[in-house]
Amino acid sequence: MPKRINVFAWFIVILGALFFLLPIYGTLDFSLRARKGELSLLAYERVFSDPLFLQAFFFSVQKALLTIGFSLLLIVPTAYWVNWRLPRWRPVVELVTLMPFVIPAVVLVFGLIRTFSRPPFVMTRSTFTTDILLIAGYMVLTMPYVYRAVDTGLRALDVRTLTEAAQSLGANGPTILWRVIFPNLRGAILSGALITFATVIGELILASFLVRPAFGPYMESMGQNKAYEPAALGILSYALTWASLALIDVFARGNKQVASIR
Amino acid sequence: MAFLELSHLHKSFNHAVAVQDFSLSVERGEFVSLLGPSGCGKTTVLRMVAGFETPTSGQIVINGREVTQVPPNQRHIGMVFQSYALFPNLTAAGNIGFGLQVAGKPKTVIEARVREMLDLVRLPEFGTRYPYQLSGGQQQRVALARALAPQPEVLLLDEPLSALDAKVRAEVRDEIRRIQKQLGITTLFVTHDQEEAMSISDRVVVMSKGQIEQAAPPFEVYNYPRTAFVASFVGTLNQLTCTVANAAQGHLRHNGSTFLVPGPLRQAEGAQVVLMLRPEELRLGKAEGLNQLTGTVQSVSFLGAVVRVKLLHGLSPITLDLFNERNLKLPEVGQAYIISFPPHACWIMGENAEDHPADAHH
Repeated sequence: MPKRINVFAWFIVILGALFFLLPIYGTLDFSLRARKGELSLLAYERVFSDPLFLQAFFFSVQKALLTIGFSLLLIVPTAYWVNWRLPRWRPVVELVTLMPFVIPAVVLVFGLIRTFSRPPFVMTRSTFTTDILLIAGYMVLTMPYVYRAVDTGLRALDVRTLTEAAQSLGANGPTILWRVIFPNLRGAILSGALITFATVIGELILASFLVRPAFGPYMESMGQNKAYEPAALGILSYALTWASLALIDVFARGNKQVASIR
Repeated sequence: MAFLELSHLHKSFNHAVAVQDFSLSVERGEFVSLLGPSGCGKTTVLRMVAGFETPTSGQIVINGREVTQVPPNQRHIGMVFQSYALFPNLTAAGNIGFGLQVAGKPKTVIEARVREMLDLVRLPEFGTRYPYQLSGGQQQRVALARALAPQPEVLLLDEPLSALDAKVRAEVRDEIRRIQKQLGITTLFVTHDQEEAMSISDRVVVMSKGQIEQAAPPFEVYNYPRTAFVASFVGTLNQLTCTVANAAQGHLRHNGSTFLVPGPLRQAEGAQVVLMLRPEELRLGKAEGLNQLTGTVQSVSFLGAVVRVKLLHGLSPITLDLFNERNLKLPEVGQAYIISFPPHACWIMGENAEDHPADAHH
């Protein structure tokens, strides 16, 4: 009996693995066939030699880092305050942070454009203010992940007692946040940040409707005009995402060790 | 004026009264315990002194400065928590230096003070360890050092020993008292453990339902409890309902026997009173000039230095403590024994130390 279950389990695992890996393999294989009749890195060379690629990529990296910074500035104090002083409000705040899952990005971007392209807030006229809208939109899209990561980290700490201990030692609010809360949320903040990074790098809808030269729209336009390069781009963005996930895993594990001993 | 002055503190949470009319004066260098069952308001009092709760009414004065509305980070208090509350991201030294760093002290001053504090709590080699690399007892000593490092005016201890196991608990308890005496720091200690409170304090404040039942040195609280609550909460107590036979001479009647107690009594003849006796004041066997009653042994438990015997006298349970000695003959379960006790061991509820201070102390 146990043996049959084992075989079945393996069958499912292999089936799942094939489901995920075959398309990646197919893409990888295709991306290597830009030169007829042999395997080569030609598609990758072409991608890297396109100045627009690096431009788009660094545009998105920059926006991702800004999104991470502003998200943390907004969400860490909020989640801290909810954990410390307003635990009764937790369900409400959680619901709000889940809204981006319910509202599609298209709706969000149309809302942003409609609201901020007319007085009193005209923000779509210059690239700088449009970038602000873009980052704000990214913050909304990634909020569920960041909030959850930070909240989980805070729950693992005894926020109230640590805060009171710091207060009794003379620390004020900002000092407590900076010296006690942020350092002890390192793992949680990193996982939130890396998920944000991966999301922003691949995001298409916000950037293309706001007409910003981000990595997502670049990949999309490649897909319309080229054959092999989009496959190479796809593999590159896979690699980036996996690298992000691997980093999260490493940091989360380090954090767990400390937490379990504590 | 006392060093720490709490006057008429009152605190309610959404109409539930946690503390009412709490007034206490603590002298400089005094070690005062707040003792009581959970929910009696002792922690709320401590948290009001710390500034984590604001009193609904009343006043807190520390060293002549009114701090009732002052935020906790400006009160110059040191606090030790039950859960240690060390900062997990900092080493022991980092934790101890935290308060000084926040105060903007120069690095050399901080380092010297941290070393001094580590020596004080006898952990000189542990400065580089992180909290998770320390045992519970060590963590709590670091927490104590951290609270003391910025030289607070008042030290607040919120059940600091409750998370420790028995042996470490006694160790840390003695350590706290040693350090407190050495530094002469005014200390408020919250506990629900009466033995802990008795052994460590200059004065014990017994609380119930948000109010002070008695505030006195441990010896007095134990031997001259002011209220029935104190009497039953602190230590074990036998209670026998008796009838006053002769108030002037102090004669009580109970189940056909007559007991002699210190008289005269305030109660009228024929009145019902409760006679209270500590287990260690009772003896097995007859003795000349002592009060006597008989009891049937229900159980005998050997506690080390003390053998605790539970008997039944009529329907009243009686607990009696014998001091252990090697040639002690343990009483047998089911056997009836005569129990005797001297008149001065007896006190009567309502006829207490406060009413007869002179009698009580002689």
